[in-house]
Amino acid sequence: MSRKSDADRSRLACLFVPLFPLAARLRSEPELIREALAILEGNGQAARVVAATRAARAAGVRPGLSLPQARALCPKLAVRARDATSERAAEEALIEVADAFSPRVESARDGTVFLDLDGIPHASLRGAAAVDPAALERALGQDLAAAADAAGLPARVGIASSKLAARVAAGLPGSPVIVPAGEEAAFLAPLPLARLAPQVDLSATLERWGVRSIGDFARLPSAEVASRLGRSGSELHTVARGLDPHPLVPREPPPTFEEGMSLEWPLATIEPFLFIGRAALERLTRRLESAGLACLRLELDLALEPEGNLRRSIELPAPSRDVKTLLSLIRLDLEANPPGAPVIGFVFRSHPDRPREAQLSLLGPAALSPDRLAATLARLFALLGPERVGSPRPTDGHRPERAALVAFAPPPPPLVRERAAERQGRGLLGVRALRPPLPLEVITEGPGPNANPEAASNAAPARPIEVRPVVGGAGEDAVRRLEIRGGVRVAAGPWALEEGWWTDDPADREYWDVELFGGSVYRLFRDRTTGDWFADGIYD
Amino acid sequence: MLHAVRTAYYDSSEEIPEIPANEGLRSPLGPRALPQDLRERMRSARELLGKTERELLPTGLPVLDRLLDGGLPRGELVEVVGGRSSGRFSLVLEVLAATTRAGEPAALIDLGDHLDPARAEAAGADLSRLLWVRPRTVEQALAATEMLLGAGFPLAVVDLGLPPVRGGRGIEAGWLRLARAAAARGAALLVSAPYRASGTAAAAVVELDRGNARWLRSGSSPVLFAGLGGRLALEKRRGGAAGQSAEIAWRSAECLAPPAPPAPIVQPERFFERPRLAASA
Repeated sequence: MSRKSDADRSRLACLFVPLFPLAARLRSEPELIREALAILEGNGQAARVVAATRAARAAGVRPGLSLPQARALCPKLAVRARDATSERAAEEALIEVADAFSPRVESARDGTVFLDLDGIPHASLRGAAAVDPAALERALGQDLAAAADAAGLPARVGIASSKLAARVAAGLPGSPVIVPAGEEAAFLAPLPLARLAPQVDLSATLERWGVRSIGDFARLPSAEVASRLGRSGSELHTVARGLDPHPLVPREPPPTFEEGMSLEWPLATIEPFLFIGRAALERLTRRLESAGLACLRLELDLALEPEGNLRRSIELPAPSRDVKTLLSLIRLDLEANPPGAPVIGFVFRSHPDRPREAQLSLLGPAALSPDRLAATLARLFALLGPERVGSPRPTDGHRPERAALVAFAPPPPPLVRERAAERQGRGLLGVRALRPPLPLEVITEGPGPNANPEAASNAAPARPIEVRPVVGGAGEDAVRRLEIRGGVRVAAGPWALEEGWWTDDPADREYWDVELFGGSVYRLFRDRTTGDWFADGIYD
Repeated sequence: MLHAVRTAYYDSSEEIPEIPANEGLRSPLGPRALPQDLRERMRSARELLGKTERELLPTGLPVLDRLLDGGLPRGELVEVVGGRSSGRFSLVLEVLAATTRAGEPAALIDLGDHLDPARAEAAGADLSRLLWVRPRTVEQALAATEMLLGAGFPLAVVDLGLPPVRGGRGIEAGWLRLARAAAARGAALLVSAPYRASGTAAAAVVELDRGNARWLRSGSSPVLFAGLGGRLALEKRRGGAAGQSAEIAWRSAECLAPPAPPAPIVQPERFFERPRLAASA
């Protein structure tokens, strides 16, 4: 990198969230922002403060204190444990902010993200012919900080030609701090060595040597530093001279989006969980929206008390970003299968997909909004189950009780509305299918059902003369409820239906259209293998 | 951001000329230059202002269209009531077919799980535009219908199946809520029930009476089911006169007889009476 001229050196920005564990917590619980709050790491006696809000810092709470020490300084101190889940989500959100500005983004953990700014602050973008590059970078830095703010993370920005200088610049007040190209070493030299965050034992040694600033350290001969301080000392020395030990490594975008948090208290009821879950879902959908994506499958990971995990996966019929829908799906899922133990933490993982888009027509009928349709289908799935919602399709074969369902995805509407005259119907008689076919007792005249089938096929067929429910049969209730009974006025038939004789479920039927004296017209059939009668439709 | 966009195409100190009014739009050539088909759809703002004409959804059944003055009114609840073999389900299929064939999506809320997709296709329905929802109870049917109206379906048909209806008639408040949802969305809502269910929520009620079944037979040939007759009667009409009725004939899909021409509308003799079919029906 140093071989390039200064003008050619690529510029990097560092987006840094100070007190990241606290910022991640406050992103999930923004109402605590004005309270005296400390984030603790560790268990029991070993727990130490890692970050504190301004109110707590004013009372003297600082990193490294134990909980009793902190409480002694600030009796009203609220305390939260460090939450890996919300930190991971905040980290992802920060990366997405950077993604919106640059395609090359590296995450350095703990609230630090680097962006490659090459080619971004181009003068033409801002509508001015010749602008000072520093002013452009400053404006870009302000935009970056504002975007991070919108994502709920108060970030500072540093811009320089090396990762380290950018990171140190981002740590300074007065954000954004711009380090002009080629002046990294000069920028670092007067700063205290603590800005490089050396290991504790190294910093003690350096202090004994009388090395105070980064510049003092950089002036030491590197071979001597390496022989005395070892590998970590050598790396720190390289860094102090303004050289990047590691180049920028852009990350791959994740295939999933996650939001979640660990809870302070286990939750045993669903309402408080949904209350907290709603905020997490809102953050998740906002992230999906910024990436132009929508949720196709939502995974729910619940951490249970005292131990155990529960993973649920909720499929959506179409990509959706509707928080209300997602929340009601989660509610229905949890109500149908309760976790069985209090919940102490959760993660929502969204598998994204592109949302459906629709082309609007000026003169044709209006199309359904794909977003709203997806949300409605999801809610219908939750209400009735996926096997009861869809677009009907005829199946292969002739059994009328069979039907197939496919996902409802209507084609775009025609561009011009049809005229009313072209809409005239065919006046065909419909049949209400009875699913499953209802068993009946049918009195016939002519050769009975027990007659030899060979002989019966040649003689006049057995004609139904009366229909009544089968006493004690499976469908008796349904037949009695529908009042399918009475003498037959006219019977037309039989028509044979035979299909699937090569399968386990063959059909060999003899169909009759039957008008009862009450006036209703039914479609009956006799199963020729068993001789039983069924009603499978009502002409209506 | 906005500032950046604004300055991209003009300077704040720059004089910006007014855009001259386009005389061509006002000239008599304007709308007349359009094809006839397009001109029929064009309305001036003044025309629209005083317009109270309701939008209609043709049903595909000339008889029903004439009874309802042109079709199902969008934004209102219409109820069809009819017993077994009264042709009520055939009417539902025709309405669904007419709507989907015109390229509009439609939803069938089928409480009795009675739809045979092959029959619906034979009736001319475009199944890809039909959403089939099979609730288990009337409450589920009401909830599902409200969701579908909210999603913007221009037609929702609720078929309550055969009597007795699973879960009773539903709560009247539920039907009123649906009627309001339909009005808010401008959707046509058709309720098909074996007996009056929607109460005061219905803007129009059409009653279907069962007619005679028609059987074909010549000499000693087998009997063939040819179709059903029936009568449609307008029982209730909000803001209009009720009592008109007309004969209707449904032909069996298996029978190749040509469709009968639509029967004339019979006006009621007195206000509260309408002609009944013969007792033999």
